[in-house]
Amino acid sequence: MIEIILLISAVLFIFALKLFGRPSTAHRANLFAMLAMALAVFSAFNFDFSKYDSAFYITIVISGLLGVLISKRVQMTQMPELVGLFNGFGGGASGAIAYVELSNSSLPFNDYFVAIFSMVIGMFTFSGSLIAVMKLRGKLNNFSSKFANIFSVFLPAIILIPAVLEIDNFVIEFIILVALTTGVIRVAVIGGADMPVVIAFLNSLSGIAAMSAGFIVNSIILIVAGALVGASGIILTLLMCAAMNRTLLDVLKGGFGNTTVNNEYVKDPISTSPEDVAIQLSYAESVIIVPGYGMAVAQAQAAVKELTNTLKDKNIEVKFAIHPVAGRMPGHMNVLLAEVDIDYEDMFTLEDINSDFSSTDVVLVLGANDVVNPMARTDEDSPIYGMPILDVDLARQVIVIKRSMSPGYAGIANPLFINDNAKMLFTDAKEGLENIIKSFELV
Amino acid sequence: MEATFLLTLLITFLASFIGYELISKIPQTLHTPLMSGSNAISGITLIAAILIYPEVRESQILQIIVLIAISFATLNIVGGFSVTGRILEMFKKND
Repeated sequence: MIEIILLISAVLFIFALKLFGRPSTAHRANLFAMLAMALAVFSAFNFDFSKYDSAFYITIVISGLLGVLISKRVQMTQMPELVGLFNGFGGGASGAIAYVELSNSSLPFNDYFVAIFSMVIGMFTFSGSLIAVMKLRGKLNNFSSKFANIFSVFLPAIILIPAVLEIDNFVIEFIILVALTTGVIRVAVIGGADMPVVIAFLNSLSGIAAMSAGFIVNSIILIVAGALVGASGIILTLLMCAAMNRTLLDVLKGGFGNTTVNNEYVKDPISTSPEDVAIQLSYAESVIIVPGYGMAVAQAQAAVKELTNTLKDKNIEVKFAIHPVAGRMPGHMNVLLAEVDIDYEDMFTLEDINSDFSSTDVVLVLGANDVVNPMARTDEDSPIYGMPILDVDLARQVIVIKRSMSPGYAGIANPLFINDNAKMLFTDAKEGLENIIKSFELV
Repeated sequence: MEATFLLTLLITFLASFIGYELISKIPQTLHTPLMSGSNAISGITLIAAILIYPEVRESQILQIIVLIAISFATLNIVGGFSVTGRILEMFKKND
């Protein structure tokens, strides 16, 4: 009986991933995954609920309620932090379980390695995720990465400790300490704009920690579900890295953007006013909006929606071009736009929209910088050379809404800003858009 | 469900492969809900906590550690699915 429930659960998990492939069916995918999870958890009790005391049930109920409460209160712009936090919890849980197994039962020799592996990955995920959350909240600055890189060599080494040392509590606690510290240091050296990679990578690790916990307690469903999460996280990690033309190792090494090359502009940019932007937009037939992290910081989504409506009312075509690493987690911009009811049919990926820029009248760049820097195509010495970018400079007119000329994450100047077809509106994304909308009413 | 180590490895490989194939087809628009959804699934480690909880009755410290794991995993599962549902609801109404 239990076997059949578990089989159904595993099939439902896989089916849920299949349904996740399209926006129209994705909400059903979540229901399938929830059902699969409920069945899997139920089966773990093996129809014997009396084995568990009240402390156990109270913990589950309170934590569940807390989970619902947090998830209802969080804002969409805080989604990266929330995913990071939950990630840490998942990893921490797997790590704690591995610790208990190591210190409680007499595991077979093979399982020692698996348990230590699970414990190290879990603890690393836990502390790394918490640091990632602090970074996303802007509470932590970058560390120097040299010390961290030397230190991190220890982590793979300690997994092999049981091969040479008798395992006792002291050794286990030492391993935990190293894993936790490595998580802290490793993530602390990585800059804010690399967080999409970090969050995806930690997500993958939390799946791998769960999967290896499945090996220790002999639970196939735990292994299957953990493997699915591990695979999903790895795919997103590699996609994010490819979108920056960097390797995972390079991202994890940290210290990106500490460059001093080529930061001078040869001439002043052309500054513009909300009124001028409104006039220019009203004469356009096609507009592409490029949202970046600046849109999220300024909470400008609602203003974006209002401008989109205004333009569409004038029969102007509006599309959104979303770079894979825009924002602080994969798909971040899409969620913020969906929140204000912008149709996902109007959101385009880099590959789908790049050929459209040359035939577009006006491109509006909202707080994006490195992902529209044409140096990635032209300057072989640039740190972002080879990174796939949105070719906004090919449009007839580019308007960049940005607070200042300060460089983006890569720490380099963006020649787009002084291009002949580009104008700068120096303001916050939300304020800028609202002023443009106001000017529209006067045009 | 008991299985030999090799069979378990085979299942691990197949699950990773299916996961890789299916998830590669998910569009960029859904990457955030995919992340928060798969994140919720990683809380399935709750099963391991449920399985070992009755075994640690003798040691109070270990019992507390397992309860912490249970709390973390439950938060991860419930919160993760709940927030994923919220995100996907926003995509649904566009339909």
